[in-house]
Amino acid sequence: MEERPCAILLKFPGTNCDAETARALETVGFEARIVPVSDLTINTLEDAALVVLSGGFSYGDYVKSGRLAKLVTQQKIADALREFRDNGGFLLGICNGFQILTELDLLPEASLVENTSGRYQCQWVTLENKAPESPFLSQLPETFEFPIAHAEGRLVTKTEEDAKALVENGFAALTYADPVNGSFQQIAALQDETGHVFGLMPHPERFLYKTDHYDPDWESDDKWGSGYYLFRSLYDSIS
Amino acid sequence: MSTRAVYEISDRYIEPGKADGLLYEPVEGGLTYRKTRRYELEYSGDETAMSEFVKSTLFDEVSQEFHEGEEAALEGAAFILDYGMKPGALDLEKEAIVNFYEGMSEPGFELEELKIRQRIYVFGGGADQSDRFVRDICNAAIHNWSVIHV
Repeated sequence: MEERPCAILLKFPGTNCDAETARALETVGFEARIVPVSDLTINTLEDAALVVLSGGFSYGDYVKSGRLAKLVTQQKIADALREFRDNGGFLLGICNGFQILTELDLLPEASLVENTSGRYQCQWVTLENKAPESPFLSQLPETFEFPIAHAEGRLVTKTEEDAKALVENGFAALTYADPVNGSFQQIAALQDETGHVFGLMPHPERFLYKTDHYDPDWESDDKWGSGYYLFRSLYDSIS
Repeated sequence: MSTRAVYEISDRYIEPGKADGLLYEPVEGGLTYRKTRRYELEYSGDETAMSEFVKSTLFDEVSQEFHEGEEAALEGAAFILDYGMKPGALDLEKEAIVNFYEGMSEPGFELEELKIRQRIYVFGGGADQSDRFVRDICNAAIHNWSVIHV
C-alpha cells in the first residue's frame, strides 16, 4: 500500500476548522492527524511532512489573536518547529493559524490586527497569485476566489515601506484584488524565504468542491474548487 | 527585596472606536474610546531579564506601542476605566504568562506577583457618564475596577 505523507494539525482550545482542513488534506492524498496541543511534544513532528495550524479562535482570541497559542507553542515546540522547517518540512497557517505563525516569527515580520471596519467580516474575496512558483500555489491561476472569515485580518507592518518590500521581495504570496480589510498593500498571505512556511487569512478548506461556491452557476471544468488546488499543489510538491 | 514595574501596551494602528459600541444604549456626546492592557509586576533579580521577558511575551513591536511607568499611556481622555479580574477568578492570560515563565529554564529573575488590568480611555466632553461604562462593561462577580478622572 502506498505510504501517504503525514500532515499534523495542531488543535488549540478554540481551533474550529481542523476537521474540514483534515478532510481537504485527506482528499488530496495526505494522512491527516489532529493533535490536541495538550498532547503535543517534540516527538509529534517526527513522521510529519507538513504541520498545519488551522483556523478558529484559539483561546478565544483572548488578548490578541494567536497570542496565547504562541506562548503555549513556543514553550512546547518552538525550536522543534524551526528545525522541522530547516529539515525540509512544510508549515501552513490558515486564518488564526496565520496569526499564530506571525506571532511565532516563522514568517516575515508583520502582524494581523483588527479590520479597519472594526467588524468581523465573512465574505468571498478575489485573490491575486503573486507567487505562482510557491509549492502552495503552483496549481492556482493568476486570480481566483476564496472565502474569508475574520475580525483581525488586517496585515500591518512597522511602516508602509516594509509592506511594499514584502511585495517587491516576493514574500507577499497572495494579495486581495480589492481593499477588503485595510491590509497594507492588500496582502492576504505571506511566505518565508524558504517557501516552506505559508500563512493566509482566507480559507481554502471551505472551497474544496465546485459546489462550495456561492454561485451555483460558477463555471469550472471539473468538480473541484480553488481550495483543492492549493492542497493539491502542496501534496504534489511533497510527494 | 522585590521591585515593582508597570508597563502599558496600546495598539498603534487601531483608531478610536465609537463608545456606543461598548454599551447597551448609546451615550450622549459622541464619545470615543481606545483600549490598552496594563501589566503590574513585582519581581526580584535582573531588571534587564525581566524587561526582555515582558517585551518578548506581552508585546508585539509591529502593531503595538510600549509604555513604561505609572503614567497613563494615552493623553486627552475624559476618564479612564481601569478594570481586571478579581483575585481567584480565572484569568487565561495570566495563567498562560505564568505557565510560560515557570517553563523557562533560566529566567534570570523571580516573578513574585503579576496583575493584569485592562484600560478603556474614553474621549469626548459633556457630563460624566462613567457610571454607564462601569455598569455595562464590568461584572461585579469577576472584576474589580476604578474610574480615573483625568
